[in-house]
Amino acid sequence: MRFVELLTEAEVRRTHEASLEVLETVGVLAHFAPAREVFKKHGCTVDDETGLVRFPAEVVEKYRRMAPPSFTFRGRDPQYDRTIPDDGPIVVTGSSAPNVVDPVTGVERRATSTDIANIAHLINELPGFDVFSISTLADDAPEGQFSLSRFYPALKNCLKPVRSNTPNMDDLRQVIELGELIAGGKEAYAARPCINHHYCPMVSPLTMDVDSTEAVMWLTERGLPVYTTVVPNAGLTSPMTLMGTLVVGNAEFLAITVFQQMVKEGTPVIYASLPTVADMRTGAYAPGAIETGILLAAQAQLAHFYGVPSGGYIGLTNSHSNDAQSGFETGMNTVLGVSAGATLLNMGGLFSSLMAFDFAKAVVDNEIALMDKRAYRGLEFSEENLALDEIAAVGPGGSYMSRKHTKSRMKTTAVLPKLAARDMRQQWEDAGRPTINDRALAEARRILSQPNEAVWDAELDAKIREHFAGLVAGDATPLEG
Amino acid sequence: MADADHFDKLKQSIIDQDEDQVLAAVNAALDDGVEAKAIIDQGLLPGLNVIGEQFECEDIFLPELMQAALAFQAAMVILEPKIKEQGAAGEKKGKIVLGTVKGDLHSIGKNILKLLYETSGFEVWDLGIDVDLFQFVDKAKEVDADIIAMSALLTTTLIGQRDVIEALKDQGQRDNFKVIIGGGATTKEWADTIGADGWAASAYEAVTLSAKLVS
Repeated sequence: MRFVELLTEAEVRRTHEASLEVLETVGVLAHFAPAREVFKKHGCTVDDETGLVRFPAEVVEKYRRMAPPSFTFRGRDPQYDRTIPDDGPIVVTGSSAPNVVDPVTGVERRATSTDIANIAHLINELPGFDVFSISTLADDAPEGQFSLSRFYPALKNCLKPVRSNTPNMDDLRQVIELGELIAGGKEAYAARPCINHHYCPMVSPLTMDVDSTEAVMWLTERGLPVYTTVVPNAGLTSPMTLMGTLVVGNAEFLAITVFQQMVKEGTPVIYASLPTVADMRTGAYAPGAIETGILLAAQAQLAHFYGVPSGGYIGLTNSHSNDAQSGFETGMNTVLGVSAGATLLNMGGLFSSLMAFDFAKAVVDNEIALMDKRAYRGLEFSEENLALDEIAAVGPGGSYMSRKHTKSRMKTTAVLPKLAARDMRQQWEDAGRPTINDRALAEARRILSQPNEAVWDAELDAKIREHFAGLVAGDATPLEG
Repeated sequence: MADADHFDKLKQSIIDQDEDQVLAAVNAALDDGVEAKAIIDQGLLPGLNVIGEQFECEDIFLPELMQAALAFQAAMVILEPKIKEQGAAGEKKGKIVLGTVKGDLHSIGKNILKLLYETSGFEVWDLGIDVDLFQFVDKAKEVDADIIAMSALLTTTLIGQRDVIEALKDQGQRDNFKVIIGGGATTKEWADTIGADGWAASAYEAVTLSAKLVS
């Protein structure tokens, strides 16, 4: 399949060169002193007074080439492991929203560890999702267990790869301890780490922070899976042209990639981004805008040039309910992404620019995800698929409906949506005119009323609960009652 | 040129968001003996009022509002020393201690707010980014602030806003300051949960909110 290319080969090369120029002449502000040491040791020019790091082009070229072509997400159960680009596109939930739309009352409120357990169960069952990036925070987290109260319910209720971040090193170490308990020891965990870390150490424009940079460095040194996302926002943190924004984001991707390779050669990376254009009327953040899809498509092309997998936060919405805006923003942007060959879509379940998780939205996004994956498969050109024998056998005026050829392909050629209406209007009227939100919420309820087979055994749970005193319950519960 | 003509020119140059024109109008007015305080009160501020109205009804966009505010600030660099010379220090609307909370390095929204505060007559102590909770508290006590204004973009750093309010309570200082919050990760509901005195969706709204809180 050929992917959509928004830039010519010469334009891709020029964008790369422009990014090198930015890194060499403008540089990157690195706030974390040990990171500056890494840059200094590997050939960058560092001004310790200002924290500014300048990157000679040959240094960037040398280290960015060390990034391998694939990245693997691991789950508690290896059958859910996913490697991109080969298993792509993989679909990841949107993450770290402070709020949830209460599935019973419909009112937005602070999310809790119980919500996380429910969401983990739901994502485990929805076939469109590959990775559970922990969708919300846990407002009920006990003192000192901010991250543990997110990772424990997530891992306990989901066999698919779990991904998230931590705000500081104490939390990170605690989360790794949890992973080691689950794996049955340090060595077992090192061999198959089931926690996939993600951070945004690059603060646009061209700045590296302290806490996330420290976490990325620590994890990279240990060979634990971690990748980063760059987040340029045109008009605010990058120029008010899509090309200028592409250059800033690309320079940031190169800076963090080079950093990780300097820390440990051959560290897997993803060219992941959340590029947006700020709404200049008010400065409002607009991750659902179509420009996000255009930029992500261009970044997929750049990632191809660098030989690394790509994707990012795409298909997010500014909308606050399961309305047309929510659907067109998620749908249009993700289609742009997959048509350009992006293999990771951070898209599921969030409203209001990443502020609130919604159970029905996650189920709608599951269906959009299945369509995106189908779109990525494309036409599947082959001699066999031309079906010439079949065309001859049926002949003019015949029907393909009762053919074996049709029967053997009827479940794989097309997506069979669970939510999208395909019935006649009268049938829909008779059913009480259900909206997409009604159908999706009913499906979420159905899934969460089933027992969760993903939960680990009682012995392991007791061990974990003994290790971390005062831990939240972390159990999924049916949505009603 | 009559004073009234100077005021018209000053006002129009702000409305045009043209820093060179603003500075030229300020200098021309000063040369003609117009007082610095009158230049501000009767020329520049009426211009900013128009800009504010235009912004509210989306006749102009945020970059235009910012340019007008920056032009005003450039004029103040000339005018403020003269006001001090004349001993007619302008009344400040209130004192603000401003910053982005611990662990969060996002500064752009906060800096827009700082600019709008200053052009609206507030005095601002900007603590910058990654601000420890005690820095907020200590600075607010030191300068006898009216308002502590905290920004957070990352949802994982939000708690820093609650920590500051809790620390103020622990020290028995909660009633001495108004606390407002904003930034991409915040909501009205979060502000209510942590017991903040207010929340603003944008920098522009934060200034209006602050003016209400100090009046």
